[in-house]
Amino acid sequence: MPAVKQTVEHVEALERYQHGFITSIDQEFAPKGLSADIVRFISAKKEEPEWMLAWRLEAYERWLAMEEPDWAKVTFPRIDYQDSYYYAAPKTKEGPKSLDEVDPELLATYAKLGIPLREQEVLAGVQGAPRYAVDAVFDSVSVVTTFKKELAEVGVIFCSFSEAVREHPELVKKYLGSVVPASDNYFACLNSAVFSDGSFVYVPPGVRCPMELSTYFRINAAESGQFERTLIIADKGAYVSYLEGCTAPMRDENQLHAAVVELVALEDAEIKYSTVQNWYPGDPETGKGGIYNFVTKRADCRGDRSKVAWTQVETGSAITWKYPSCVLRGNDSVGEFYSIAITNGRQQADTGTKMIHLGEGTRSRIISKGISAGRSSNTYRGLVSAHPKAKGARNFTQCDSLLIGKESAAHTVPYIEARNGQSVFEHEATTTRLSDDQLFYVMQRGLSQEEAVQLLVNGFVKDVLQTLPMEFAVEAQKLVAISLEGSVG
Amino acid sequence: MTLAAALRDRDVAQLPSRRDEDWRWTDLRALIRELPAPSPAAAAPAQAGPFGALGDAEILVVNGRVIGDESLLRLAPGHTRTVRLRFVSATAGTAHGASLSISLGAGARLTLLESYEGLAAGYLADANLAITLAEDAVLERIILAQDDEDAVSVSTATVDLAPRARLAQTTLTTGAKRQRLETRVTHPGHDAAVRMDGAYRVRGRGHADLTSAVNHAGTDGTTEQLIKGVVDDQARAVFQGRITVSPGADRTDARMGHHALVLSDRAEVDAKPELLIFADDVACAHGNTVGALDEDALFYARQRGMPEDVARAMLTEAFIGEVIDRIEHEAVRERLRSWAQDGRIA
Repeated sequence: MPAVKQTVEHVEALERYQHGFITSIDQEFAPKGLSADIVRFISAKKEEPEWMLAWRLEAYERWLAMEEPDWAKVTFPRIDYQDSYYYAAPKTKEGPKSLDEVDPELLATYAKLGIPLREQEVLAGVQGAPRYAVDAVFDSVSVVTTFKKELAEVGVIFCSFSEAVREHPELVKKYLGSVVPASDNYFACLNSAVFSDGSFVYVPPGVRCPMELSTYFRINAAESGQFERTLIIADKGAYVSYLEGCTAPMRDENQLHAAVVELVALEDAEIKYSTVQNWYPGDPETGKGGIYNFVTKRADCRGDRSKVAWTQVETGSAITWKYPSCVLRGNDSVGEFYSIAITNGRQQADTGTKMIHLGEGTRSRIISKGISAGRSSNTYRGLVSAHPKAKGARNFTQCDSLLIGKESAAHTVPYIEARNGQSVFEHEATTTRLSDDQLFYVMQRGLSQEEAVQLLVNGFVKDVLQTLPMEFAVEAQKLVAISLEGSVG
Repeated sequence: MTLAAALRDRDVAQLPSRRDEDWRWTDLRALIRELPAPSPAAAAPAQAGPFGALGDAEILVVNGRVIGDESLLRLAPGHTRTVRLRFVSATAGTAHGASLSISLGAGARLTLLESYEGLAAGYLADANLAITLAEDAVLERIILAQDDEDAVSVSTATVDLAPRARLAQTTLTTGAKRQRLETRVTHPGHDAAVRMDGAYRVRGRGHADLTSAVNHAGTDGTTEQLIKGVVDDQARAVFQGRITVSPGADRTDARMGHHALVLSDRAEVDAKPELLIFADDVACAHGNTVGALDEDALFYARQRGMPEDVARAMLTEAFIGEVIDRIEHEAVRERLRSWAQDGRIA
């Protein structure tokens, strides 16, 4: 079957990790290991106020009392939390005022990764091409944030998290930890104690953010972890689309990436959050090295009619363990989750979503496509629950898995909890094939099988691509095509 | 962590709790603070069981003690038999457990009419069945659970199939205070086939848990599963179905469906349909729906002059009836037909 062969080639091409280079640059580190003093060191480095340090220390105390969870379908050797650097930053002259003062080595790194840090570079493109603002995070610090001025003109705050703590403490205090509490889980708690940089976004009431916002995460330093924290608030009636990308050098040791992302959508607000995750996946043959991607992402649809859409394209990391979730608190709020997860070599992924329906008339939609090749393992794990008060809640879930290779594994572990009589939950999962029911439905209306398949495939691609900003759509389209080509065969 | 172990050692600490992933929705530990006294021996009940006089023989298990000829559950190669196996709980507020083994020789055929009958209130009952099927053997197992509403009842069956053997199972239950009916199948593939259906109708404060695990170990095996149920009042139903396809078990065809109607705002349905797949040449699917009665269908029926309550009853019966239609034994199917209406046997 040529389609399958092509898919295999596509997936094999992914093995050739193209972002695995190391930037040699002077960096400063915190002493190795984790202690209350390291937490104080990070806080001092970031010139944080006392309340922020107190918050970190409390999280650290709680973390000490917690145990590492083991319920996911992933296996890895025990992590030695003392054998890692919790802070690594490129050495810079006193606070670069403009890009010209940023280390050219760093600029070259981003150029090599294809991330435009110079506003004029973006502008110099094809006329009418979409622009997007970038926050570039290199190990533990934000190197530069572009288009800040233009965004500030419409009231949008887009800056590094450290800057937000200094410049907008009232907003940070109000929302930090309100979606993912410090002690939510083991890795979120660790992050709360030692988080370094990340992005902060606030979109004021009624404002539609004029451009895509994005953060590019790069791990460079050896034996270090990255613990970024992202907080996005869309005030009443606001709209923002945010995307994140990530890469890391090829190394033989595992590196931990434990991030926390909190989204807050107030009344009538909408947030789109897209991820193209391409951390170094480790050696495909030996499984050596690669990033442990243990991330907590959660959105709180706090206001009525608010909406959050997560889109993720997961191709990297030795281990992916994450469940971008929506707490649908506001009446008629909407949560969406679109995911493509590809594992190859010896990668392991346990990923999915949680849709917690609390408000009346809340709706959610989950589309998950998993492709598992080589000797990898790919698990969809998801929860859909409706509270007794969530009358009229609706969910539709579709999980398709595709296996390539005798030694690969694909699992589907959905949890459905319906606690009232006026909700409708539908869940469908298939492995290797397109849904027979859907095919039958379309063919019943006079289309040939090929046309029917094409129609369904197009419909699906449209759904996912519509949620992705154009810059990432091209990359994502390739991945979607891969997942669909095989599922038809 | 099993009820059987807790009863054997008289130790509540061995009861499964929500901390055990497979028992997250059926917590026995939180419910049972102290194990009740062991059940005394009791006489065989005078009345017939829900299957009446259907079949060739009857084996009674009263308060955990077997009355009758257990060897009737061991079929020699080529033999055919229909047996009523009645688990009767006859003493209020006491605890008992029973373990039986069933074996079918090559090419043997057994229709097992298994009933759980609560003739007293608030008992704690455990049943364990170890079933083995030799090559080409066929077991049709029809389980009807009529536990008392204050009872705690757990039944666990392990089924070991040989190549070309076939298991066809239908479980019907109205729940209990806490009830779990679990089947674990070791599926060798090689043209062995499993059909594992079930239906629940739970009301009041009832709880019914249908759990199954099928492990496909060889090539060319099939499993199909259809579970349907209705919950009303403050009742809770749990469905956990796990299909595992082991490495090398190619050309496995496994399908699982669970569909529930929730008729009250305080009722609850929890479902976890799991597929764990370690082979690439397979066709596996599951579907799960939870919702209220279809308003369009109700409207259609009422438009044709049917009173609303009649229309609701008819649609609910048709919904559950699909499971009963799949029972192969004709006389049993007809006898259980009324169960789809109200959870009782006429």
